[in-house]
Amino acid sequence: MDEQLSFEEALTRLERITQTLEEGGLKLEEAIALFEEGMKLAKICNERLNAAELKISQLQTPFEQGLESKDEPP
Amino acid sequence: MKIYSVAEVTGYLRELLEADSLLTDLWVSGEVSNLSESAAGHLYFTLKEEASQLRCVLFHRARLALTLENGMAVVAHGRISIYEVSGTLQFYVDLVQPEGMGILHLEFERLKAKLAEEGLFEPARKRALPPFPQRIGVVTSPDSAVLHDIINIISRRYPLVELVLSPTPVQGDGATLGIVQAFDALNDTEGIDLVILARGGGSLEELQAFNEEKVARAIYASRAPVISGVGHDTDFTIADFVADKRAPTPSAAAELAVPHRVELEGRLQSHSRALVAALSREFERYRQRIDELTRVTTMHLGNLLTISREKLRGRELKLGSLSPLATLGRGYALVQHSATGEVISHINQVHRGDAIEVKVSDGQFKSRVTGLKKGLQAWMNSFPSKKR
Repeated sequence: MDEQLSFEEALTRLERITQTLEEGGLKLEEAIALFEEGMKLAKICNERLNAAELKISQLQTPFEQGLESKDEPP
Repeated sequence: MKIYSVAEVTGYLRELLEADSLLTDLWVSGEVSNLSESAAGHLYFTLKEEASQLRCVLFHRARLALTLENGMAVVAHGRISIYEVSGTLQFYVDLVQPEGMGILHLEFERLKAKLAEEGLFEPARKRALPPFPQRIGVVTSPDSAVLHDIINIISRRYPLVELVLSPTPVQGDGATLGIVQAFDALNDTEGIDLVILARGGGSLEELQAFNEEKVARAIYASRAPVISGVGHDTDFTIADFVADKRAPTPSAAAELAVPHRVELEGRLQSHSRALVAALSREFERYRQRIDELTRVTTMHLGNLLTISREKLRGRELKLGSLSPLATLGRGYALVQHSATGEVISHINQVHRGDAIEVKVSDGQFKSRVTGLKKGLQAWMNSFPSKKR
């Protein structure tokens, strides 16, 4: 599975897999393959949640630039 | 010097009046008198004080929040112009409120009515919030308690996002422009899929920027959907009405912005369980199919076996009729030399005195040859002849 999937994509794919598997009627090999992919997706999602750290950045707005120039010593 | 026509003068006056920024957007308080209604539904009245009067006209009655009556003390909003047909100065009223409201409140009501009419608050126009945002713009004051609350809440609930702060003052001079510029900056930033506009509680004056038309239009024009979280639960600002989603407080805005990891972990767990259950069911289904096939196959084998057994019995019966035992049963005997076991079928195989064994259907006995006679003529002759 693509490791670059976003959390949302991984979760959406997991939901689709669960649904497909629950509908049944698959060949056994297909069912097993989907099961394995689904479990892997669930694991990846969990790991993402546990490993993530909030990223914070700040835009330069005219206000912020004004603040900075005021901070400079006279 | 030149001589002007009346139309030139009234036209010039109209241009002057309509170019004046005060006269094109003002509130006037006074008492209603001389109220009349035209056939077309326009209202004509006079606003008066002790020694002053202002001619007023109110076209359409769409924004009339109350029923006008003579003697009523009101505050009216509109613009001053000249009615050239009669050369009279008129106050073109577009909104009337009862007297007693502060100017901020009056402006709030006016702007709210105006933007509502323009469709800025339409529920159909509100955009859905992304269920899993990736870059959230935050328009608020930097280094404020509000910002720290937002960071904490989102970090705890769903740390998979990037917060992009777009700093602005949120009260006083420059707040309105700052908020507009903060939205501009976010609109120019790639990948922003949600914006939180937040400010802590305050008086109506302190929240004024969030009741400004420019801020309302900036929210409306935002590329990403906007959650407003301004003031306390009881504060409603114009920004709240325009925002795609109104949160009662800044913290509530942060909570609305992202899913909760506990809920997500629960979802992941229930999916894992559902996967296991579904695969078990598949296995069970196949096991049952195998059982069924085995049963059917065994049944067929059983049938084959029965058929074979019957065939076998048929063969046995046929064989039985060929068996020497059956012949013995009919009174014939098997005669063998005692010494060699040689079966005796011809008279010259034996001599007087030979020891022989005779087998009949249910036993055997030993005997000895005591006499010999070739041919069976005499025996045959003892049978009755058909010829005779």
